Amino acid sequence: MKGLARAFHSHRLALRLALLVLLLILPFILKESWVSLANEMLIMALAGCALNIMLGYTGMVSFGPAGLYAVGAYATAILLTRYHSSFIIALIGAPILAGIAGVIVGWFCVRRSATYFALLTLAFSQIIWTIIFEWYDFTGGDNGIVSIPIPEFFFTISHCYYFTLAVVGACVLLLWTIIQSPFGKTLQAIRENPGRTEFIAIPLKRYQLAAFVLSSVFLGVAGSLYCVFSGSVFPDYAHWVKSTDMLVICLLGGFYNFTGPIVGSFVYILLSKIIAKQTMFWMFFLGAIIVFLVLFMRNGIVGFLADKFSPVTDPAPGSGKDGGGR
Amino acid sequence: MTFEAAAGQALSGISVGMVLFLIAVGLSIIFGTLKVLNLAHGSIYMVGGFLCFGFTSALAQVPGAFWWTLILAPVVVALLGGVIEILLLRRIYSQDVLYQYILTFGLILMLGETCKFIWGVGYHTVSAPWPVNGKIPIWGLSFPVYNLFLIGCGIAVFLGLLALMRYTGLGRMIRAVTFNREMANALGINVPRVYTGVFMLGCWLAGLAGTLMPPMSVVALGSDMAVIIECFIIVVIGGLGSLPGAFLGAIILGLLTAFGIYIIPKLAVAFAFLLMIVVLVIRPWGLMGKPE
Amino acid sequence: MRPVSIFVVITTILIVVTIGIVAPLQAQEKKPVVVGFIHSMSGAMSMYGISSQAGGQIAVEEINAAGGILGRPLKMITRDDKLNPETGLREAKDLLLSEKADFLSGTISSAVALAISNHVKREKKIFIVNISQSSSITEENWHRYIFRIDTNAVPYWGYANALALGRTWKDKKIISLGFDYEMGKNAIRQFKEKYLQIVPEAKIIDEIWAPLNTTDFTAHISKIANSGADAFFLSCIYGGGELAFTKQAYAFGLYDKMHAIQPCAGDVETWHGVKKGEPYPKGALATCRYPFWAIKDPRNQAFVEKHQKKVGFYPSYGAMNQYVIMYALKAAIEKVGAVDTEKIVDALENMTLDTFVGKVPIRAYDHQAMMPTWFGIIDFTPNLPFPHIPKAEVVGEESYHTVEQIKKLRGGK
Repeated sequence: MKGLARAFHSHRLALRLALLVLLLILPFILKESWVSLANEMLIMALAGCALNIMLGYTGMVSFGPAGLYAVGAYATAILLTRYHSSFIIALIGAPILAGIAGVIVGWFCVRRSATYFALLTLAFSQIIWTIIFEWYDFTGGDNGIVSIPIPEFFFTISHCYYFTLAVVGACVLLLWTIIQSPFGKTLQAIRENPGRTEFIAIPLKRYQLAAFVLSSVFLGVAGSLYCVFSGSVFPDYAHWVKSTDMLVICLLGGFYNFTGPIVGSFVYILLSKIIAKQTMFWMFFLGAIIVFLVLFMRNGIVGFLADKFSPVTDPAPGSGKDGGGR
Repeated sequence: MTFEAAAGQALSGISVGMVLFLIAVGLSIIFGTLKVLNLAHGSIYMVGGFLCFGFTSALAQVPGAFWWTLILAPVVVALLGGVIEILLLRRIYSQDVLYQYILTFGLILMLGETCKFIWGVGYHTVSAPWPVNGKIPIWGLSFPVYNLFLIGCGIAVFLGLLALMRYTGLGRMIRAVTFNREMANALGINVPRVYTGVFMLGCWLAGLAGTLMPPMSVVALGSDMAVIIECFIIVVIGGLGSLPGAFLGAIILGLLTAFGIYIIPKLAVAFAFLLMIVVLVIRPWGLMGKPE
Repeated sequence: MRPVSIFVVITTILIVVTIGIVAPLQAQEKKPVVVGFIHSMSGAMSMYGISSQAGGQIAVEEINAAGGILGRPLKMITRDDKLNPETGLREAKDLLLSEKADFLSGTISSAVALAISNHVKREKKIFIVNISQSSSITEENWHRYIFRIDTNAVPYWGYANALALGRTWKDKKIISLGFDYEMGKNAIRQFKEKYLQIVPEAKIIDEIWAPLNTTDFTAHISKIANSGADAFFLSCIYGGGELAFTKQAYAFGLYDKMHAIQPCAGDVETWHGVKKGEPYPKGALATCRYPFWAIKDPRNQAFVEKHQKKVGFYPSYGAMNQYVIMYALKAAIEKVGAVDTEKIVDALENMTLDTFVGKVPIRAYDHQAMMPTWFGIIDFTPNLPFPHIPKAEVVGEESYHTVEQIKKLRGGK
């Protein structure tokens, strides 16, 4: 095991390049339906990483990420259908509007912490759902918006996949840079010990709001990408069950690691698809897996494997674990 | 609107509220003592409903089948709750609210599918039992006796729980554990057993509600999702963990529904959530909870 | 980036690739004609999904026993949309891409239907709806590849009820109660539209709305009881909600106090478990899509028996529609001589379906089959163990939107 791990460390760059190549040639080696699935996985991976800014890095448990995701999706949809805006504007509008929504919602939510914060995010996400559901004239109500004029270019599955790959790749890199910055370190400090962080003159609420807004912006991008991918939007994009899917993705992959949500998205969507084909009662098995996850694999897949594979005694720089798992 | 009509509508509102109270009170107690947000509370209520159907069908030849079911079904649900608590919940008490939320969400899926597996996908009904199956003229309305019976049950449960908490040894232990777990433990109270007991009590209440509801409603898959959000709203407005708070919150929501359909029909849905947000932001411990 | 996570991602991708490439070889026999069937197979509405699937499968078995379509076997692949448009869309895409479905059919949720319809418009594949009722599917959002072989919301929830009330009680003061969503709003609007043409002095004195998943209608019923109306009209309240409403309204004695217009109460799926003496929509004027007890055609009798043997309960209209859809596809393919989507669209447009509910033409302008709607008063008779409409009358094309009306909705095209 240790030898294997050491081999990975030294060939880190080569492995990363291999992964990149694999992602780039995916449409040429897989059937179209799998490419479509990979597209979805990428979008959910971005949503998971966005949520993880709050969840894993700042320690803020939100029950309502789907609300902001839906704002992004509907922003793109409405800009394209109702205001006939150009594609670029519709894409850029999504994270901006989601960010604005994040500021409003976040301002109220960060006033409270822990359980109350979580319940507030849930309530707001349900308000967003209700607004979308009731405001038929603007949002299409429970019918959703279906014929969204997306450029014909994206009708081809591989084109859409590369577009998603590019955007998600750029966003993930951006998020990674933010996490590594002093701002990101401060967020982690807030997670570890809010009291002490406040003590050293860090304005706690302001940083938490910033994390909330940042998370909302990237959730908006994910929503917008899904709108392009599926060509339609529905109120259930904001439902608390969808939020729970995102939470499970983060938990499944492991929210103490940056790549956790990416792995989680991949595994969760693949598992759902495979199990659903086997039995009518597939939701039972999904529930059982979720229960198993919470009880026995609290650090997620990546966390679990990191515990087993990472050399603990080797003092190589950057190879030690993050401070204190549970 | 005449006085009679208003009074009749208020009575309806109280009936709606009492139904909600019966469903939500278990959640309130569980949150109050165990500090666990049990998302699966609606599912446990639904299991109670299916068991009500199951028992009344099985005991169809027995006179007073419903009343026997009313005794049996909630006990079975309580036992189920005990199993869930001992095997699953116990391990995550000290953990973040995130884990409770996701674990209980997993339970929703498992319990829902189990009900589907055992009882199928159709709707089931149970008849209102004698002697509470008639109508009484009140304030110009032909009011169903069963609704009055439910109002009575709601009040009885409320008073019964208050009495339990205030005047019995068990209640004292529960209050001690709620107030300070470590101290209670130090005083020799078997805290894990109290936790299991409280969870079973909460599930018993959910099962009771689930058994009382089918004669005036329908047993169907999906009722767990429909009910859980309303429970959250009531419990938050009333105050997480406060028994009188849950009672008050339920009555408020019931009257809001009853008169809302006269005044602001469209926004009644969003109104409940707005109220929840207002409470959480201004006074998160609810109308009658205690600030932490 | 942790090396371990790269390892996991690569390994899983390699596994996926292997599965994707090394797929089991197809049997080298005649390629089947594949119909992708998407319905709600789990959750609250799954009874209709299971029933519709059974109806479709009965047709598939019969057709294959008689030699298939142009010598090729007919195959039906079922997927669950979980009543969720995202999932339904994903399954539709998968059916077209991996299973190479030639046609798509199904759905009960209008949102799912609209999502799939939008997708097949792009892909130029035919999608035939068997239950989803929203009129916008074949009106505002119509395109060449969408068909519906079922009634739609206009007759079923609106016009047919207006026509029915006009032929029976002609009540003047009506109060409505509906689920608060788009179809609910449309239903009362369409009912009002048609009814006021027939009985101009009538008035809808109030419209009450309840959130979509309500099961406690106590407050709404007491308002109806105090309203002084001659009749109440249920706007798109169906399934479990309708059952709950009926029990509560019955307990309030509402059915004795005023007339009841309860669309869809004639369809018996809701009342399966209701026995004599239990609450039911007593004396209500109801519509129905498939009164199997009243249809004399011997093919109907055979169908009912086969369905009961397959799934253990009486067939729903979904089953009947799906059965008709399979035969319609067979007829169209045989007429054209090949599985050619464009030619089959033309063939279907001009087709009159020979069903056991009568000869039903498919209207070319909106690809809507002019399926009839029955109506009558609900009662208990010795024929069946549950409440139903003993004497059903029928309305046909007059209960749908006219082509002119639809043209206006489409913006004059």
